[in-house]
Amino acid sequence: MTIGLGRLVCGSLLASAGFVGAVSACELKIGVPAVLSGPAAQWGIALRGATEFVAKETMEEKRLVINGVACTVSVKSIDSKYSAEGAASATSALAAEGIKVIIGPVGSPEVTGFKPVATRNRMVAMVNSFAKNSIGPEWPTVFHIGPGPSGWAAPIIDVGLQRYKFKTAAIVAPNDQGGTDIASVNADIFKQRGVTVTEEYYQRGTTNFAPIVTRIMASNAEALDLASSPAGDAGIIVKQIRQAGFTGPIFRLGGPGTDEIARVAGGLDILKDFLWYEPVYMDDNMRALEQKYEKLMGSVRPENSDFFRWTFAARMMIKAIQAAGTIDNAEKIAAAMRTLPVEDEHIGKGYWIGQKFFGINQEMSYPFAIGVIQGGVKQPLIRAEAVSEK
Amino acid sequence: MNNRVPKSLPAEIRPSLFSGHDWIALAIVCLTFVIPFTSTNPQVLSQTNLILIAATAALGVYIMQRLDLMSFAVPSFMAIGGYTVALLSMKLQLTDVFVLAAAAFLMPALCAIPLGALILRLKGVYFVLVTFVLTEIVQLLLFEAGPITGGSNGLVGMPAVKIFGMELWDNPHVLLTTCGLAFVSFIVTSVFTRWFRSEFAAIETNDVLAESLGLAAWKYKAMAFSVAAGVSGLAGFALVNMLLTAHPSSFAPMSSVNYITYTIVGGKASILGTLIGALLLVSATDYFALSGEMSPGLFGLLIIVVTMVARGGVVGVVSGLLYRLAGQSPPLKNGEQDLGVNGEKGQ
Amino acid sequence: MESFIATGLIGISLGTQYTLLALGFTLIFGILGVVNFAHGGFYVMGGYVAYYCNVILGLPYPVAVLMAMLSMAALGWLFEAFILERVIEDHQATLMVTMGFYLVMATAILMIFGAESPQFPFPVTGVWRLGGIYFPYANMIVLGACLAAIVFVYWLVYRTNIGRGMRAMSEDLPVASALGMRTKALFPFAFALATGLAGGTGALVTPILALAPHVGDSVLAFSFLTVILGGLGSVTGATCAAFIVGLIEAYAAVYLGGSKGALTLFALVLIILVVRPQGLLGREVRRS
Repeated sequence: MTIGLGRLVCGSLLASAGFVGAVSACELKIGVPAVLSGPAAQWGIALRGATEFVAKETMEEKRLVINGVACTVSVKSIDSKYSAEGAASATSALAAEGIKVIIGPVGSPEVTGFKPVATRNRMVAMVNSFAKNSIGPEWPTVFHIGPGPSGWAAPIIDVGLQRYKFKTAAIVAPNDQGGTDIASVNADIFKQRGVTVTEEYYQRGTTNFAPIVTRIMASNAEALDLASSPAGDAGIIVKQIRQAGFTGPIFRLGGPGTDEIARVAGGLDILKDFLWYEPVYMDDNMRALEQKYEKLMGSVRPENSDFFRWTFAARMMIKAIQAAGTIDNAEKIAAAMRTLPVEDEHIGKGYWIGQKFFGINQEMSYPFAIGVIQGGVKQPLIRAEAVSEK
Repeated sequence: MNNRVPKSLPAEIRPSLFSGHDWIALAIVCLTFVIPFTSTNPQVLSQTNLILIAATAALGVYIMQRLDLMSFAVPSFMAIGGYTVALLSMKLQLTDVFVLAAAAFLMPALCAIPLGALILRLKGVYFVLVTFVLTEIVQLLLFEAGPITGGSNGLVGMPAVKIFGMELWDNPHVLLTTCGLAFVSFIVTSVFTRWFRSEFAAIETNDVLAESLGLAAWKYKAMAFSVAAGVSGLAGFALVNMLLTAHPSSFAPMSSVNYITYTIVGGKASILGTLIGALLLVSATDYFALSGEMSPGLFGLLIIVVTMVARGGVVGVVSGLLYRLAGQSPPLKNGEQDLGVNGEKGQ
Repeated sequence: MESFIATGLIGISLGTQYTLLALGFTLIFGILGVVNFAHGGFYVMGGYVAYYCNVILGLPYPVAVLMAMLSMAALGWLFEAFILERVIEDHQATLMVTMGFYLVMATAILMIFGAESPQFPFPVTGVWRLGGIYFPYANMIVLGACLAAIVFVYWLVYRTNIGRGMRAMSEDLPVASALGMRTKALFPFAFALATGLAGGTGALVTPILALAPHVGDSVLAFSFLTVILGGLGSVTGATCAAFIVGLIEAYAAVYLGGSKGALTLFALVLIILVVRPQGLLGREVRRS
């Protein structure tokens, strides 16, 4: 009995010694600059939830083993406030803790403020944002979790063209980077398909879109694209353009938010014919991932569906760290990432793209989905294959 | 209040140029030069950077406060300064920090002269509203002038600035640049406002009377507006240099509210108030960021409480307390020594 | 021609909304000498109160609008009597306090109702059409409510003792109080009247447009523009200016495009101010 107890004490002492050794040898801290306040908070909450989930998964399943020692993984998230300054300050705070591995941030202004600070502090990062310069050769250790409209607008427009007849389209978006970057990409893709396009930009903060709607009606557009107009604005535009007598199909080629648009517009009937980009196609694999989250974290996954893309991105980062064999050398991790195939246990295979659009092949492309509302009735999602540049 | 209007006092009769508060403020700014050499902690560096930029920008508000004008125009002039620097370094490869700083000061200061001629006739709330509209206009112009300003994308990819041919690119050096710009701004502001303090006091109290007594009020107003614009331009340079990007969102109209808050909450009576206000509120913002969506509300609550409890700002209250402890009455009824609480003002 | 008339109708509906907002804003300035930065907050909160009464509690829409007006008037009264009143002589302090209160209100709304827009439809749908010209019935109702509000404010300010008192106080506060005006009672009353109007506007307008915690931000900017143009403190000026702003905004946006339209409007206001600093119908500049 005494011997048994002695053994136990000894064993646990040894174990804890081993544990202490492991801590000093391999303790990965992932930094998450995420918007946690203001209207965009739900995006940051999805990012934070996904990263925390992947951290736990990595530890439970011992997915990260460096020099024979299983690493602990912790997540430090700071509010980046959806502004360049906020992200720069949050990233500096992360750098202060010696963090080299970053998942996030979400929005264009944040990524703008984030990149110089991350480059100065030699960090490797997986960012989002639909900006035209989200990634680029100037920032070799910054990767993109998925394409913007350059990657997925074309297949959605094609679905629209199959179902509805239109030769002209109007694109409406706010007159800042979040709007113009996306609207101009969408415009090019419409034009490639022989559709005449007019672009309308409004001042952010506009609450009554009747004048813009009048312009669109005067341009005799047969289809409308809301691009990346915030869901609240998009809802008013839809409501007012239907009041003005517009009957054509409406695209939303700029991110999710269809439910909120429908609420503001006054229901699916008002949306009538509506097509949008959905980050993932919900199938059994995705539901399995949801269940895994619930089992591991003890709560339902964050509501925003970008949760899935962030999960794939964080897992990819862990794989790259494993392949590089270091938790704090950003260049080595980035080099390892470039050689790895884009693949995830839940969504399957994808591709590295981005050379054509950004000049650097560091954008992950996975299958996605196209949402359709026809005649005021929600249709099942259409699965779209991952875009490849080859 | 002091209604005496000295047309031009010879320098030797003027009492010492700087007050105690000026010396303290300048000493604090001077001390920040130590940080880039002693600390490598990126958060300390980044916080110091943000506080100095905020304080420098708020100096623009402080200067206009000397004339009893509340200016919302700071972001406009920051934008002019910041974009000037970005354009010079990207299009003309000018990266010398002295040349850029001179440009960042002069460009907004020059723009302020014709603008000032138009709007300095306005007083009180009208000046507030017009400067507010002005920042909205500048913001729209930045979007519309795409070929020059890069439109909504801003100007990205500036080269690092250089001092005597040496690149100032990493964290401590960026802070060093900001420290230098802040120090210059504080010196310029304190010398300018203290040199003409009697003139400003006269205009602040009653500009019609001052003018009728022969003081060319418009001249001092124009000078103040121009210097305020120049100092804001330096803050714009520091901000653009920190982000390596000139982006319209950095000069959002609502950010002017922050700069005004720093000045008033800290204490609008002295330059130290501006510095302390920036220090306290930027740190508070950072601290509140941990509480996520609650943070703007907490910030608002803080503003209300400080405004109601600490009339004359934090510095006003603290120095009032210190004087009381020392058993003296604060020397604030005298325009010459005007450094303490200046909360109560005639209608 | 059709689009010209249609644009005019849009300008008029914009004008009605701006009038409703500017009336309260200009009343507060005219009587208290305060620029109320929290005005947009009362507008949004009014919208949410009406939403809560109408959609969650199931009360009829007109009752919900009334509730929004009353609750915002009450909140305005409390804010003026307990907070603003203490710093009322210092115009910069009033600015800080109202600015802080706006942040508190916006955060409270975000915490209670979340960031996303709820579904809050106007009870009357349908659109009146004649060729290419159209006018939603909902906008007509808001136009009617706006006219009623203008008449009410005029009656109150020019035909009642309270109104005379308020006007006397805005002319010359010391003389008015020497003559026995009770500023302690009239100031909160005036403030409550203005915030009640803002709350009612929120209840009427947010279902036509959208309800979200941040929609108050732009309200402030347009209230500013309107009252600058009309002359701070002038009720008639604010009403005229609101329709001018609405019409300019509509025509500029339709014929020049979204952001150029806004630029035109701002530039025009700037010019008017420089040429005529007291606004279209303003009196001598009030030094508050």
